[in-house]
This record gives sequence, C-alpha cells and structure tokens, in this order.
Amino acid sequence: MTAQDRQFDPGRNRHLAGYRTLGGVPDELLDQDGNIRPVWRPFLDHFSALSDKDLARRFARGDQYLRDAGVFFRQYGAEGSTEREWPLARIPVLVEEAEWNSISAGLRQRADLLEAMVADLYGPNRLVANGHLPANLIAGSREWLRPMVNVVPRGGHFLHFLAFEIGRGPDGTWWVLGDRTQAPSGSGFALENRVATSRIYSDFFADSHVFRLAEFFRSFRDALHGLTDGPGARPAILTPGPLNDTYFEHAYIARYLGILLLEGEDLLVENGEVMVRTVDGLRPISVLWRRLDASFADPLELNPDSRLGTAGLVSAIRQGNVTMMNALGSGVLETRALMAFMPRIAPELLSAPLMMPNIATWWCGQPAEREHVASNRHRMMIGSAHSTRLPYESEETTVLGGNFRSLADEAVRNWLVSDGANLVGQEAVTLSTTPAYENGKLVPRPLSLRVFLARTGTGWQVMPGGFARIGQGPDANAIAMQRGGTVADVWVVSNGPVNTASVQSTPQRPYVRTRPTVLPSRSADNLFWLGRYTERAEGMMRLLRAYHVRKAESSTAGAALPASLEDFMKFSGIDPDDPVPTGLLHTINGAITSARNVRYQFSTDGWLALTDLENTARRFSKTLVPGDDTARAMWVLLRKITGFAGLVQENMYRFTGWRFLSIGRSLERAIAACNTLAVFTEPDAPDGSLDLAVELGDSVMTYRRRFSVFTSRDTVVDLLALDTRNPRSILYQLTEVRDQAAYLPNASVNDQMSQLSRAILEAHTSLAIQIPETLDADALYDIRSDFEGISDLIGETYLK
Amino acid sequence: MIYDIGMKITYEYERPVSVGRHLLRLMPADLPGVQRRLSGSLKIDPVPSERRELQDFFRNSCVEVGYRESYAAISFEITARVECVAEIPSLDFSPDLTTLAVEIAGYRGLDPHAPHHFTGPSPLIRPTPEMAAYARELISPDQTVFSMVRAVGEALNRDLKYDPDATEVDTPVEEAFARRHGVCQDFAHIMIACLRGVGIPAGYVSGFLRTIPPPGQPRMEGADAMHAWVRVWCGIETGWVEYDPTNALIVGTDHIVVSRGRDYSDVAPVRGILRTSGDQKNDQSVDVLPVTVGG
Repeated sequence: MTAQDRQFDPGRNRHLAGYRTLGGVPDELLDQDGNIRPVWRPFLDHFSALSDKDLARRFARGDQYLRDAGVFFRQYGAEGSTEREWPLARIPVLVEEAEWNSISAGLRQRADLLEAMVADLYGPNRLVANGHLPANLIAGSREWLRPMVNVVPRGGHFLHFLAFEIGRGPDGTWWVLGDRTQAPSGSGFALENRVATSRIYSDFFADSHVFRLAEFFRSFRDALHGLTDGPGARPAILTPGPLNDTYFEHAYIARYLGILLLEGEDLLVENGEVMVRTVDGLRPISVLWRRLDASFADPLELNPDSRLGTAGLVSAIRQGNVTMMNALGSGVLETRALMAFMPRIAPELLSAPLMMPNIATWWCGQPAEREHVASNRHRMMIGSAHSTRLPYESEETTVLGGNFRSLADEAVRNWLVSDGANLVGQEAVTLSTTPAYENGKLVPRPLSLRVFLARTGTGWQVMPGGFARIGQGPDANAIAMQRGGTVADVWVVSNGPVNTASVQSTPQRPYVRTRPTVLPSRSADNLFWLGRYTERAEGMMRLLRAYHVRKAESSTAGAALPASLEDFMKFSGIDPDDPVPTGLLHTINGAITSARNVRYQFSTDGWLALTDLENTARRFSKTLVPGDDTARAMWVLLRKITGFAGLVQENMYRFTGWRFLSIGRSLERAIAACNTLAVFTEPDAPDGSLDLAVELGDSVMTYRRRFSVFTSRDTVVDLLALDTRNPRSILYQLTEVRDQAAYLPNASVNDQMSQLSRAILEAHTSLAIQIPETLDADALYDIRSDFEGISDLIGETYLK
Repeated sequence: MIYDIGMKITYEYERPVSVGRHLLRLMPADLPGVQRRLSGSLKIDPVPSERRELQDFFRNSCVEVGYRESYAAISFEITARVECVAEIPSLDFSPDLTTLAVEIAGYRGLDPHAPHHFTGPSPLIRPTPEMAAYARELISPDQTVFSMVRAVGEALNRDLKYDPDATEVDTPVEEAFARRHGVCQDFAHIMIACLRGVGIPAGYVSGFLRTIPPPGQPRMEGADAMHAWVRVWCGIETGWVEYDPTNALIVGTDHIVVSRGRDYSDVAPVRGILRTSGDQKNDQSVDVLPVTVGG
C-alpha cells in the first residue's frame, strides 16, 4: 500500500472492508497493488461519507424514478413474458477520460471497418474473391439478404448507429466481444440508468466532471434530420411494437428526440415512396431508424411470414427513396465467425491493423483452425459460426470447451469435422471486475460495457458513457454472464468541467414553436378506442353499483328490484350474477390494449392509473360477494377510473390524438345515455326507473339542485338529454364531438364542410330542436344510430 | 423446339382487397444456351395503379404491382413464345464427391450461379439426417456426381407417390418425405434436401412442361399447372444440370424455365400481401403447345 492510501479513514472506507479482487483479472476500482485508482477517489469519498440511512433514501429515490418513468425489464421464459423491476446496480462504472479516448478511437476505427465490409458484401464482393472471407460463410448467413445485393443505400452509408460490447482482458486492455450492427438496443436504457443514477448522487454528480450524454443524442438527432428531404420532413423510429422486449426504449427515445414512433402497419409504399398513414392522409417519410430486425421489414421480398413489416419497403429502398438506419442486411456483420477474419481484413480495407482487438476467434470450416480449436478446446467457447448473439446471451448454446471433459477427444474432433463450417471456437475470455453493492458492502463483480456510436455530420461520435452489465457472482468467465445480473450507468470522468447542456437546448433565437407532429392513423384509432373503452367501463361500473346497492336494500328492506335493470345489464354485456363480470374485465382489458399501443403518447401516471385499475378489478373478481360488498368495490373502481379521466382531461396536451380520445369518450357516453333514457324513462317503466336513470347518468347532485324532490319524466329527460349545461347530457356530448371534430384535419375543405362535419351538424340540430315530450324511445334510438354513423364515419375518414 | 405458352392464374376473394401488392415471377426466362424468349406479355386485370419490372438476386425477372383501389378478383395472364435449345450432356465429366467438395471450396464468389447458395439450409429446406441417409444408401464414393443425381432422382421417383391432393404449398419437406408422397414441389424439395445432405449443391426451378408429349411418349405429370424441378451443380467443368424427379428425367427441351432459386420461396410465382379478411380461391390453367414448323 502506498502512503497515500494509508491516509484513508477506515470509517469512510467501511464499504470496502473485505473487498477482495479476483485473481488473474484486473479490477476497475483497485490497481494491481491494491490502490484505489485516482478516477474513483472523489466518488468513493462521497459514497463512503453517506450514512446507511442516507444511502437507503438515495437508492429509493433512484428506484422511484425508474418506477415513475415506467422502465421495466421484459423477460421471456417458458411461461411467456414477464415484466420485472429494472435491475439497476446503484454504483456506476467509472472510466477516466484518457482511457475512454483510446476506447473511442478503437471503436471508431472498427465502425469504419464494418462500413467498408458491409459495402463490399453487398457490392463488389472483393473480400470473398480475394479469399479474405469464405464464400460459404456469407452465403449461409440468414442475415445476408439477397434482395439487398447491389442496392446502394440512399445517402451512401449502410451503418448509422452501432453498439459494441467490450470487456477488459487479463492484460488490462479492452477487447471487443461483439458487434451490434442490426438494430442495437440499450442507448435509451443507458439514458435512463444515467437519470436514475444521477438522482441517487444528485449533489455529487452536478460537479463531478462526468461527461453528459445529451450532446451525443443531439448530434444524432441533427444527423437524422439532416438526412430527411427538407425542413418539414421528419425522421421516425420503426419499432416492432409493444410486444417487443425493448419497446419501452423505442418509445422513450422517440419521445426524447421528438421523432415519430411508427410500426410497419403505419407505413404504406406508393410508387416507390414510403408513406405514413396519418389522420391527415398519406405523408411521405424518408428516414427510418429501424429497431425491427431486417427480415421482418418487408413480407413481400423478405420473410413472408412477417406481420410486422411493410410490403414494398425493399422496393422503396432500392429506388433510393428512404434511408434505413441501419441498412437492411447490415445484420450480417454480427455473424460471430466474422471476428476470425477481421484482424486480417482491417489492413486490407483500412491499411491499418485493428486498434482494439476482438476476442480471438477461429472458424472451424478451415482444417488448421479446426485443429487449433480441437487441441485447445479446454480454453475455448465453442458455438454456432452464424450466431449473431453475444457469447453469453441467454438461449445460446455456446459451451465452454472445458465442459467436454467427459467426452473423448475423438468425439469433439468428430463434431468439429462433421459440422466445422457451422462452428467457431472463441477464446474463453475473462472480464475485469467492478464494485457492486451487495448486502451493505462493495464486492467485485465481472463487467462488460456496451458502447454506442452514431454517424453524424462530423463522422462517428461515441456516446461518452454506456450500458454496463454486471455479473451476478464472482465468476469472471465471460460466459458466466449468461446467468444474468444487474446493469449500471457508465461515468466517463473528465479532468475538467464538462458541457452540461441538455438535449433540448438550442442556440436558435427567437424561439420558434415546433410544428405538431403528424398523427399516425393507428395511434388515433387506439386513442379513440381508449376513450370509448374507458367510458364504457365507467358506465358498467355505475350500472353494477346501482344494481348492488338496490340488491342490498331489497334483501334488508324488501324493496322491489326493477326487473328492467337486470335486462338492461344483460343488454349492456354484463352478467348481474357476477360481481365483477367478465364483460367489465374485457372492457378494461380493451382499454389497456389500446393504451399499450400508444403508451408513449401519454404520461406514465395515466398508464399506471389504468394498470392499477385492471389489477384492482382482477383482485376484486376473486373475492367480492354480491350486494353491499360489490357496491362498495364499485365506488373504489369508479374513483380510479375517474382519476384516469381526470389525468386525461387536465394533463394531456391538446394534440390531435387527444381529440380522438375525447370524441371516443363523448360518443360512447352519448350512446349509453340514449340506451339508458330509452329504457328507464318509458311511460310504463316501473317505479324507481327515473331515479335510476339519473343515477346512471351520474347527475344525482345536479338533479337535486335543479328540481328538488319530485322526479318527473320531463325533468329527467331534459337534464340527461337536452340540458347543454349538464356535462353528462347527450346534447353536451354532441356539442363536444362537434367542437373537437372541427379541429380535425380536413374538417372543411375550401370552406366546404366534410362529410363528417355535415353528419355531426345534422345530428346536433335534430337533437337540439327536441323537447322532452317528443324525445321518446324511438327518437332516442334514432339519435343513437346517428352516433353510430358518426363513429363509423370517423373510422373511415381518419382511422384506416 | 418452339412453344407457345399460355397461362392464366386467377384469385377470387371473399371480401374485397384494399391495398394489395404482388410480386410476380411468371414470365419464361431468357437464358442464353438454354432457351430464348421470342415474345412475351403479361396481362393483369384489373390494371394495377403501379407496375415495375425488376430482376431478383438469382436474375429472375419479376414484376411488382400495387393497387390503390380495392378489388375482389385479380388475374394474371401470360402469353409467350419460347425456343428451347437446351442440350442434354452426352458425356459425364463430373467429378466424385471429394473433388466436388474441393471445387466448391475453391469457388470464390457469391454470384447467382455460385454453388455456395445451394449447399446449406434455405428458407423452406432444412436437410435432415433421414434424407441424407436415404441418399447415402443410393450412392457409392467412386461414382460421379452426375450419376449420383440420376440415382437419387430415379429412386425418389420410384419411392414417392405422385399425389396432386397430397400437400398444400406449405407442407414441410420432412413431412412430405416421411409420408413418401407429394406434388412436383415436394419431389423437388425432397431431392434438393437429399443432395445437399450428401454435399451436392442443389436448387429449385419453376416453369412449364409441354402439355402434349412428343409422339409415342406418355403424358408427363405436372403439365396442367406450373411445374417444378431441380438443378444440380456437378462441378466446375459440367456446371449446372437440371433434373425432373417427378418424371425421372434429365431436363431437355420439354421443360421451359421461369425462375430459379434455392427453394420455392425464392421463385413463388405470385407473392401477395393483401389487406383483406376472409377466404380466397384460386385457379390456374396452363397450355404449352409446340409450334410446328411453318405453322
């Protein structure tokens, strides 16, 4: 130990008690003499000075942020997918600037190499012709997409956004473990890790000289915009959709960068141009940041079974009308066996050796290499040559050669010979360790880093930071990462102050408000149905509450229960015998499904309110008994669902999507009100029906204020159908629909009303001139069919 | 041999299709040394709002069509005159399997004719140990590749039952093989899997057969619709040879090539992506008639 280290106050260093580095691998925190590396000292001083209580409070703050932001981790297993809490390690990984610069230089060179390779593989194929790559390796790759051969990408580049998985080897240098060229994920999660971690250490972070991530994203956003056709054009992220395990990230980045989030279904190819189906008609789009695996992108020319793609997309690319980031087919670069050839290809294509080595790899399709792998199998990972996964990703059949001890040498050799072209051996690398916080102290755990590169106007930029994976146990073999673990923020620490501008800051003056984004028809459709389903669910809850209150009363006071109520419930799709009918659960589920498809359009609070509602309803469905119990439960559900409606009403930006949601809600409410009034205000309706109508219309308080005690048919119909000051009346809904529809695109063309505007005005007028006496059941059903016609017309006009 | 070819494919949909897009591989190919297309036209009804011609990776000519208006039925009609000049190799210069492997490894290229595309699994063909074992039984190491092709093709023609009702377009190869029956597409897929299983590069050909056999010969199976057969790479010297396992013969001038690929998925005559619900039915009629000299 050096003199300097001995000066450390053991109390301040208490978390390090028992920190034992693993033999044979470097540690990020301690150097080989056991001294704390300078880059860690300020952070460790700060960390060690925090009391356990303070630390717990800070960790809770970080966790709370992640929960609020809705960051979760989706896992696929035998039982389908589950969402679990984001496994953030609360200790960041620290890297000093000089070291980072050399990592960056190595990766920028590798990015250039990959670009040159992919251009060759889809162009002249010199690497194959000159014997630098075996032809069968490329021909056998599922990611070498024949329809893309000889297609020169618009803008000239195949690769725009890359990630590299790197690890530090025993000699202290960094190695590339894997290239991610298809649709690299993790940059959004890196951002979220950063926000959460900087909240934990908020006071320290502010002056910590840690490079911020915003500038990287700002340059990339500018690059994206730079590739579009003009000032009005927008880039978009193309996502496989909400069921993908990294959908959260797609939505998050789209929101963060202010670009559209689209699915294949949102797009259409017309005359070789890619168009977005929006509520304002077809709009061209020319830049797609693709998060969808290439083979799914176009069912016509690529995988015909894909339901996620857009027919004709390849044709549009071939005609040079759209930039794909990254180009379709760039996934071939992830082929594991390519790593065996890259050290020799680099001097060929770049006239320079690789600055950062990749993990030593031998393709077993060649006799000498195969022999080498067989003889050294005890220190090899042996796996598929064509695999595009990292050696330690789950569902991977890579095995440590040492595990074959039970097998005779001969058997391994035979395997390598018979299937050589499909196998690679890779050196079984070990990783460096970094401190992780477990049970109140720091322990060394293996680490790999994912580093992101974006092509910008000034060349490749490296995100100063990244996404760290931390292994679960003390095993430093890279392959042990298969067992999972945690993720951590990466701090690149400068020697001096850093630029702290956020992604939004812009030097432009005067301030110009950005144009509202176009709204894809599919999003509008989901929002419209979200409005309808939540309103429908609310109506069902009122109905159930009214029923069970009366049921409870009838059992005690012997009051008669209107039979028409039960019929009406059945008509509305709910079973009176079931406290939480499946009809209600399905409706709530419909709302959730719609919401999931537009999750990025509204706040996390709104999403949480809905999922909370669903969870509560499911819980209730197992325990409730009819009567009082259920009536009280419906109060609870109603409070929750009106909470959601309140969030939508109070907090949601009045973009076009909100108007669809609002129109959906008003239409549903109006249709339900027509039904209620038609049944319960009939002249021969049983006693208590009028009160029931008022209750179902949620207008009890208003009614009492306006009309004192006596309930008459005319007053009820007036209040619930015609009173423009009652926000529950039919006419009020229709006015809402009229007002919101006026804001929709093409509501009038050259001062001429659209078909929809005319239909709404017509319905509005015919209701407004009614008086309670004329508004009988037939008239109400007529009005209801007007509403249904309007709903269909909205669907045809905007939502297809 | 000159043929007049007529084919009409129609699809009828239960509900109208909105936004349809099709990729068509229907036109007889123009292949120097094999066949010459003297004329050819493709009529599509209704007339598409967009239509483009292109060549795919394997140099097949394709037509891409798109519709903006909806339609309830669509038909594609081919009229072509083709001269077949293919010659059946009279001498066998093909190597044995060991030499073939060396020649494959020595082929440094990924052009459409490179054997490397046709050695491993392809979208619809996953060679299985059963099919490889079947083929291995039929051949001996001292044989030439060309004679192996005949041996495997003749054995399959004997062991598989031609049964037009046996399979749908998407029956997996291994299933058709296990049941030992199928249509021309299954015969071709099974033969390809068998050959690849023993290390012989093999691909898929779609096309037409002459409807009426030459005088004195039996009518061939598969003449009333588009047909499928196999092409095999028999080494550098011999190159590609075509074999029809459904009729157990080396392909000569009775077959007219439309498209070539690794398996059916590369050459599907009509690929369509439609926005529709409900069923569809289709119908196909083919006529391939020799043009008599002076006629």
